[in-house]
Amino acid sequence: MGFLDSILGRNVALGAVPRGANADLFDDDFQRKLDYLALVSKRAFAGRMRADRRTKKTGAGIEFADHRDYQPGDDFRYLDWNVYQRFDRLLLRLFEEEEDLAIYFVIDASTSMGFGRAEAEGKKFRYAKRVAAALAYVGLANLDRVSLTSTTDKVLSRMPATRGKARIFKVFKYLSELESDGCTNLEDALKTFVAQNKRRGLVVLASDLYDPHGFERGINVLRYNKFDPFVVHVVDREDAKPKLAGDVLLYDCETGDEREVTVTARVLERFEIAYKEYLEEIERFCSSKQVPYIQADVAVPFDELILRVFRRGGFLR
Amino acid sequence: MIFAGLPFTALIGIFGVAAAFATALYILKLRRRTVAVPFSKLWERILRDKEATSLFSKLKRLLSLFVQLALLALLALALGDPRATASFLKGRNLVVLVDASASMQATDGSPTRLAAAKKEVQKLIRGLGGADRMLLAQMDATVTPLGPMSGDTSELERALDTIHATDTRADYSRALRFATDSVRGLENAEIVVVSDGRLGEATDASGKVKLEADIRFTYVPIGTASRNVGLTAFSVRRYPLDKSRYEVMLEITNTGPEPEEVELSLFGDKNLVDLTKLRLGAGERLPRFYPNLSGASRTLEAQIKALPGSQDTLPADDHAYALLPERRRAKVLVVSQGNSYLEAALLLDEYLDVRVVSPKQYAETTATSGVTQDVVIFDGATPASPPRAHAIYLDPRGSGSPVKVEGELKQPGFDRLTRNHPILRWTALDDVNVARGHKLVAESADKVVGASDQGAILIAGQRGSFKFVALGFDPRESDLPLRVAWPVLLLNCINWFTDEDARYISSFRTGDVWRVPVVSASGQALLTRPDGLEIAVPVHDGRAVYLGESAGFYGVRPLDAHVVSPSPKDAVEGTRTAFAANLLDVEESTLEPVKELVVDGRKAGALVGFQIGVRRELWIYLLLAALVLTVIEWITYHRRITV
Repeated sequence: MGFLDSILGRNVALGAVPRGANADLFDDDFQRKLDYLALVSKRAFAGRMRADRRTKKTGAGIEFADHRDYQPGDDFRYLDWNVYQRFDRLLLRLFEEEEDLAIYFVIDASTSMGFGRAEAEGKKFRYAKRVAAALAYVGLANLDRVSLTSTTDKVLSRMPATRGKARIFKVFKYLSELESDGCTNLEDALKTFVAQNKRRGLVVLASDLYDPHGFERGINVLRYNKFDPFVVHVVDREDAKPKLAGDVLLYDCETGDEREVTVTARVLERFEIAYKEYLEEIERFCSSKQVPYIQADVAVPFDELILRVFRRGGFLR
Repeated sequence: MIFAGLPFTALIGIFGVAAAFATALYILKLRRRTVAVPFSKLWERILRDKEATSLFSKLKRLLSLFVQLALLALLALALGDPRATASFLKGRNLVVLVDASASMQATDGSPTRLAAAKKEVQKLIRGLGGADRMLLAQMDATVTPLGPMSGDTSELERALDTIHATDTRADYSRALRFATDSVRGLENAEIVVVSDGRLGEATDASGKVKLEADIRFTYVPIGTASRNVGLTAFSVRRYPLDKSRYEVMLEITNTGPEPEEVELSLFGDKNLVDLTKLRLGAGERLPRFYPNLSGASRTLEAQIKALPGSQDTLPADDHAYALLPERRRAKVLVVSQGNSYLEAALLLDEYLDVRVVSPKQYAETTATSGVTQDVVIFDGATPASPPRAHAIYLDPRGSGSPVKVEGELKQPGFDRLTRNHPILRWTALDDVNVARGHKLVAESADKVVGASDQGAILIAGQRGSFKFVALGFDPRESDLPLRVAWPVLLLNCINWFTDEDARYISSFRTGDVWRVPVVSASGQALLTRPDGLEIAVPVHDGRAVYLGESAGFYGVRPLDAHVVSPSPKDAVEGTRTAFAANLLDVEESTLEPVKELVVDGRKAGALVGFQIGVRRELWIYLLLAALVLTVIEWITYHRRITV
């Protein structure tokens, strides 16, 4: 946190989150690199505060956007007198207004995110938190409004929108207090989310998408409500190769559904194929709906994912 | 099919209980290990296909149950030890006579005939049926059963390992009698002779050996070669009148069908005495004689070696051993007023220490001095008490005489002679003229060696541990001193006293029961074999008794040797008797294997019904099948085929 200490020396003392708890989220070098990255949104969103992004909203910006016919009541100062002289027509000059962006991080805090064997307990959940923390920092650094939400089949908790790099510790504190526990139901949870957040913006959904009711429904909720979903699919390849053999009783760690299975090499093979098909199905869906999709493999080193995979995918510039 | 183990009803019971238990385990719901998964929907995708084949899965589980039941059935059957009725009732009772005679040491086997015979017997053992029983016996100079009649193959193989070759000829008739006695009254009796067939006629003192009609007689021939050269005779003796010299006679026989060239070596005290190259025609017997040998030789060994191009298959007959009779200086005390004939005769043997004393001197000093003598000769002077030595009494008189002396005989002659007595060897006393003498009366244990019609005049006997010879006349009153028989008689007497007679056997023959003179109070002697091993042997009538099986030099000494001697070594050496033993048997040296064995006109048949590795006990195969099933079950279970 040396970098943050240098620029936010005051806030270090204010940091409510213990250093030890945040230390493993991302280190100083990582933060320094993230500082120069900008979060890109395919759309421009309207914002309350002026920031580095353009919106379609015309206003007090300095960059010309368009003309429109004068309407009674308009500010005379924006009339284009050159056009009036040439065409004898009253047209009003419109300017693009630069505004901040609302970025929502929706973190799947279901039990499956924290699933893993003893030596890799909660690998996906930790990974998702790191991704969220990193992206949140980038957003804050670009003066965007960052908000975090954790969900299962409902909205568990929410960190209100905030701006500025100094708020990163708030993000850390929020993330470190999250626990993975509950069933996944993205549809129900995101319905609540959209109801709670009227301002549209980028929604980064970090989840393993193990939704028994269908992952599509959750993403569609965001789409239908004009949010811009960005899917970070947290994947643990070991899920495809469970260390199972013989007669076992499988139970779903979220729903508790039980199945008697005799696991053979053939069954494991078929499971691996089914797992791959499931990943392809998700990717296909996102691609068809033009939803940005990134597969975040927990086996890929975290910094590599952020600096390379996201850049390669056009997520960061 | 019958069950030699548990009865059938018991087997049904065992199988029923075990099958019920196994089935119950299969019916019981399998307790599965509980495992959490992050997303069970994924599993549902693949399990949908699996459920479609659930009937097949059930059938596979059923197959697994059947495999288990089959396994239990096999084990239950194995417990019953099922056997084919025929093989159970008709188990064979075999006596296998393994020839361990000298000819079985021939090197045309692998490496020897005996080793080849052992391999053949091993095949027999491994081919034994479940109900078969076998008795193994070693056949050499005697017949030695190597264990009880048994069907235990490991026990039989252990017994087979103990068979070893000997330097003896096989006592075939005794072995056959033993074998017939062993199987008499048993069903499916069979006598198997494993041999090269050089066994001679099956005849002994009781006549020809007869095999009962219901005893099967089988012959397993061993050996292929027949070329051999062997020593078939070897003897040595000292000259009676010059015991410093000796002569050797030996005989070499080519028992093979082709001429052979050999090198004959004669060693005296391990030093080469003579080396000769000999050529022997097929079947030729070649005697060799070595006269007038001298030197300090004690041990003699003859050795033959085949020259290049020749073949000598049997090493056991290539060596022959002999010991010269040990010579030591005998102390002879002559008690006489002077007798030139006597003293001259004693001068002939340079190994005699002769001292002459007068009767008066003897009575006053010598008899009481305690100086030991080997022989005392009383020439016309009879002591008051017998000396503590062997003694010769010439014309004894008075109470000191060992035999009673009766009336005078006029011109007695040797009308009756015990010619086989050692003291008369090489003598002719029939026409000895005697002027007068006295009649001697022998005691019951004494031997009248010579007698006239009027009474005994020459008696040999023993008083206590000392021997004596009494001559009933004064030699000077006869023409005996003028004859060659006179010194010979005297020396024969001395040799008889000291056991150094000219009849000395230079070697014993292997396979015979040896009786070696040894003085032992405990009735036991310690025999040292050629391989250095010492064994205790019994002593009967002053002779150690032992059935010799190996050629070579032996030693025997009493177990209670307490001889007053300057050193313990001398004590042992002083009482130790050495002797040699040899094979020297043309029959054993003749190696050509006999194709057919005939006993009392009955030919031995070929061996049938022995197949290695094919055992008649079904339980072994049942267990093997159970093992195979277990492996199949294990594989199918772990490959998830039957689950």
